Amino acid sequence: MSRVVKQQKFLNKISSTTIKSQILLDASKYSALNLQFQYQNFNGHMGARKFWHEFLPSVQFYNPSLPIKVTRVKNEDKNVDVPCVLQAIGSNGNIVAEISMKNKNSSEIMDEVLQKLEHKKVPDEEIIRV
Amino acid sequence: MFPRLFTRQFQTTAFRLAEETGTKLSKEQLRKRELRKMVQRRLQAKTPASDHPLYMPVSKALRYLRAIEVGQPAGQQTITLTTLVVSERGVPPLAGNVSFTKPLKDVKVAVFTDDEAQATLMKEKYNVHLVGGSDLVSKIKAGEVSINFDKAFATPDIVPQLASQVGRILGPRGLLPSVKKGTVAEDLETLVKDSMSSVPFRQRGNCISLAVAKTYFSDKEVLENLLAAQKSIKQSITTQQTKKPSILSQTTLTSTHGPGIVIDFA
Repeated sequence: MSRVVKQQKFLNKISSTTIKSQILLDASKYSALNLQFQYQNFNGHMGARKFWHEFLPSVQFYNPSLPIKVTRVKNEDKNVDVPCVLQAIGSNGNIVAEISMKNKNSSEIMDEVLQKLEHKKVPDEEIIRV
Repeated sequence: MFPRLFTRQFQTTAFRLAEETGTKLSKEQLRKRELRKMVQRRLQAKTPASDHPLYMPVSKALRYLRAIEVGQPAGQQTITLTTLVVSERGVPPLAGNVSFTKPLKDVKVAVFTDDEAQATLMKEKYNVHLVGGSDLVSKIKAGEVSINFDKAFATPDIVPQLASQVGRILGPRGLLPSVKKGTVAEDLETLVKDSMSSVPFRQRGNCISLAVAKTYFSDKEVLENLLAAQKSIKQSITTQQTKKPSILSQTTLTSTHGPGIVIDFA
């Protein structure tokens, strides 16, 4: 695979081939997304990390002005329970929706986000392909 | 006896040639290949950036880079500009200073002087990172002071001491003050004032790589920084002391974790 083709695939993954996360969030309803999980994979935090890498870039791509904050906690002790949550912050600063990401696959988390947050699909003509 | 000796000699030279270049081509063939590559590079430099399959306008490129850097710590969200330089053999490498309209971080400056009056002035007025005289030099030599500054200035009285003691340490990093570079003066005030907001760049191999922005800068700030970089790189080409000035080729914009995206620059 040539250098250019590889790069195009990488760019398309952000903007066009990850279909699930091509959503438009209403800016008047949601002012930010906050995620918190562990650096380490144990205690079911792997899905959250994968979700961040697989789906968040395209959410950010289609909502450029939405602040997305990821807080990763370093924890080596398996007995300590670190929260593994995704919070949607409303326009007045309150938490409108909260999703637990623990012990879930990245695509399961995405499904739940689609269920709980109000969103619109990005229209086909607005999707950018490289 | 005689023919055997001859063949042995021949073999060793052949081996050496292959070892040096990694190929079995003759000198003539290598020279031709070098020429061919040069022609290709020149051709690439002449074709407009918009012909490249990965070409994007800067605003769109920034959208991609911001998307890929989502959730990364702020320190790891640097946008870097890399531009290829096509130059003849033996031409001095491009170098210079860029003064950004929005600097990435405060430039850390070190000042070497034995003059007490200037030292206190630097400390109080300009908040210089490191100030010192002979004691600082010996501390750096011993490795007690870490070299975390980006620029260094000195007064002429301390230069011989600097060169002899810490030239081996500061020299390779391009931090050794010298008269030739214009970083030595009796009055350091003007030098420091100019350099507080400017960042040095230097051609390494056949490219210049330079951090120009952070992903959380606005589009306008990034563009202004890009223009500043463009201006000073072009400036360095005009001041290059050669008959055949270098030319700029393909330019990419990339971020810490992101892809390289070709932009219009030259």
